[in-house]
Amino acid sequence: MADKQQPLQARDKLAFLLSLVPWLMDHDGATVSAAAKHFGMTPAQIREAVELIAVSGVPGETDSYQHEDLFDINWDAFEERDEIVITNLVAIDDSPRFSAREAAALIAGLQYLSALPENADRAAITSLMSKLSRGASSTPSQVGVEGAVATGAIDAGAEHRAVAPDPIAPTLALIRASVEHGVQLELDYLNSQGQRERRRVDPLRVESIDADWYLRGWCHLREAVRTFRLDRISNAVITDEPIQHRAGDSDVRLPDVLFEPSPDDLEVTIEVVPSAMPLLADYIPDGATSVEHDGRIRTTVRVSHYHGLKRLIASMPGVATVVAPPSARAAVQSWASSGAARYR
Amino acid sequence: MSPSPSPAAASRVPVEERLFSLVLALLATESGLTKNEILSTVQGYRQRYSSGGDNANLERQFERDKDDIRDLGVPLETLDSPGDAGNNQTMRYRIPRGAYELPQDISFSSDETTLLNLAAMVWREGSLSGESRRALLKLRSLGVVPDEPIIGYAPRLRLRDAAFEPLSSALEKHLIVRFAYLKPGEDAAREREVIPLALVQYQGRWHLSAEEVDGGPGHGPQKTYLLRRIVGPVSTGKAVAPHLGDHAAAALAGLEAVWEDGVAEVQVVRESDAATRLVNRRGTERLESDSVASAGEERLRLHWVDANILADELAGFGPEVLVLSPPWLRGAVIARLERTAADHG
Repeated sequence: MADKQQPLQARDKLAFLLSLVPWLMDHDGATVSAAAKHFGMTPAQIREAVELIAVSGVPGETDSYQHEDLFDINWDAFEERDEIVITNLVAIDDSPRFSAREAAALIAGLQYLSALPENADRAAITSLMSKLSRGASSTPSQVGVEGAVATGAIDAGAEHRAVAPDPIAPTLALIRASVEHGVQLELDYLNSQGQRERRRVDPLRVESIDADWYLRGWCHLREAVRTFRLDRISNAVITDEPIQHRAGDSDVRLPDVLFEPSPDDLEVTIEVVPSAMPLLADYIPDGATSVEHDGRIRTTVRVSHYHGLKRLIASMPGVATVVAPPSARAAVQSWASSGAARYR
Repeated sequence: MSPSPSPAAASRVPVEERLFSLVLALLATESGLTKNEILSTVQGYRQRYSSGGDNANLERQFERDKDDIRDLGVPLETLDSPGDAGNNQTMRYRIPRGAYELPQDISFSSDETTLLNLAAMVWREGSLSGESRRALLKLRSLGVVPDEPIIGYAPRLRLRDAAFEPLSSALEKHLIVRFAYLKPGEDAAREREVIPLALVQYQGRWHLSAEEVDGGPGHGPQKTYLLRRIVGPVSTGKAVAPHLGDHAAAALAGLEAVWEDGVAEVQVVRESDAATRLVNRRGTERLESDSVASAGEERLRLHWVDANILADELAGFGPEVLVLSPPWLRGAVIARLERTAADHG
């Protein structure tokens, strides 16, 4: 997924300048566009940085920034051919270390991704994490994510326990193998109405939000791009049928957001305690009005079917209540009371 | 193309140019520069420096810049002048090259670079997104080109809990924090004052591992708080001596031990949403039971870490799940279902 180009803050710009100089030293004569591609910047951002580097330096013995105290570049090559050739170097020899928080963010990110088949080699990941730790200017901050536990990377002192593997790991491995071999994936899927169907899918992208993982793929049954929750997939196998759609194909539109509103969605008015609002954020459409009412917030949620709504509301007892329409209230009431009836 | 020394140009020296010039000047000096030397000679300061006049604003600017540079992982060091310790006019500043540069023996392969790109992508929102963006710039500085991935990944960790940002910043600075915490089943939130040790995400939820203040660092009992149960703002108090250790790993191992001990048995409707999702949950075991198989059901043994969250989840499955044990969980799920039914009657 292409990241949106964001305006850089001064700290980002400084990190970029300190990173660009050593790269330019190793890539003498690199073009502006090559640098832009490598760093994920625009050519204008590269030019601006090079122009700043070219006039920067140290106060020097005279305290007055003499010519020999400044970086310099071959201006002709830069202005005429967009090539970056540094002709005088000052102060910087090598890439900077990571900060404690930067290293922590990458280490925690690696832990989180431990279910990915790319991460299967635990020894390699452990060595990568230790390199990040050693490459930080101080001890990485204490931020951790469960994945490391799920795959047994954490050594809890003398106590070595066999930990249960993450059940989505085999599915992730199958998805990757399907793309690697160019063949379709076949799986059982429980759709949002609760029906189980055998689907054939061309995998396009794997996405996740916290502990929930999703496959975006071209569904040959629906003949459209669909999102599949990994924990609703069972009996996945690789077929002999070649993949027909790939990410980037002109007829494949992969929306940036995971949950796309559909014109068939149902709108339901609910009341929810304020602290639970973040849990419902995915269901609240943009521009929905929220009104405070007796310490509760009255707002609108959008759902594809009451099948999902009744489960959502029943998992937030006393916290969220459906106000309207009456058919939605009845669906939740009937779901909860038939659940309670099992115990009588 | 030498920089203009004229005062008119002063306001036009961009922030990044001043910070970059400061890093270059401090990297280039072996013996260090005094504050006065920095303010009077370094690009971006010198244009605003008044010799013999009042430079209080400029000094404050320098203090903020030092913090910014250190936040980026640049080791800005101070050296006391011999025989004049603690005097901040004679104190010298420098950036030792060895502590600034990535050690020579650290390099990353294409595979590793690919993984690190993914790891950084995880933090697309929230306070760590800037950190991972800057970490990637430094990684790219090494010139390694990542492998073309076989399939695209778009992983994401969410930081929706308002408490995450203030807690993570307090954790960094070793500050005591205060917040109101609402335990399930209690009517009102209670004020807590703790020393943060680690922030960990376990089963999709952020937890704070912290130490009670009473015992002092390294002595108080350690507790785990669920961030979503923190009510209202987090305030910070005084700094404490850092209590070193791999607290994140310890907190995760602690939660994992709780998870392992927490066991529940349920009966589910075969091929229902409940059956599919609970079977796909880590640690779930299918139990042999011929008596329920004929009724189109199956029995599962689940692990859990938080009783209230488990009861909420199971209640959501309505009639697809029947809790068998433990008895209190049965009672908690029945109460939830009855409450929802009554609220919608």
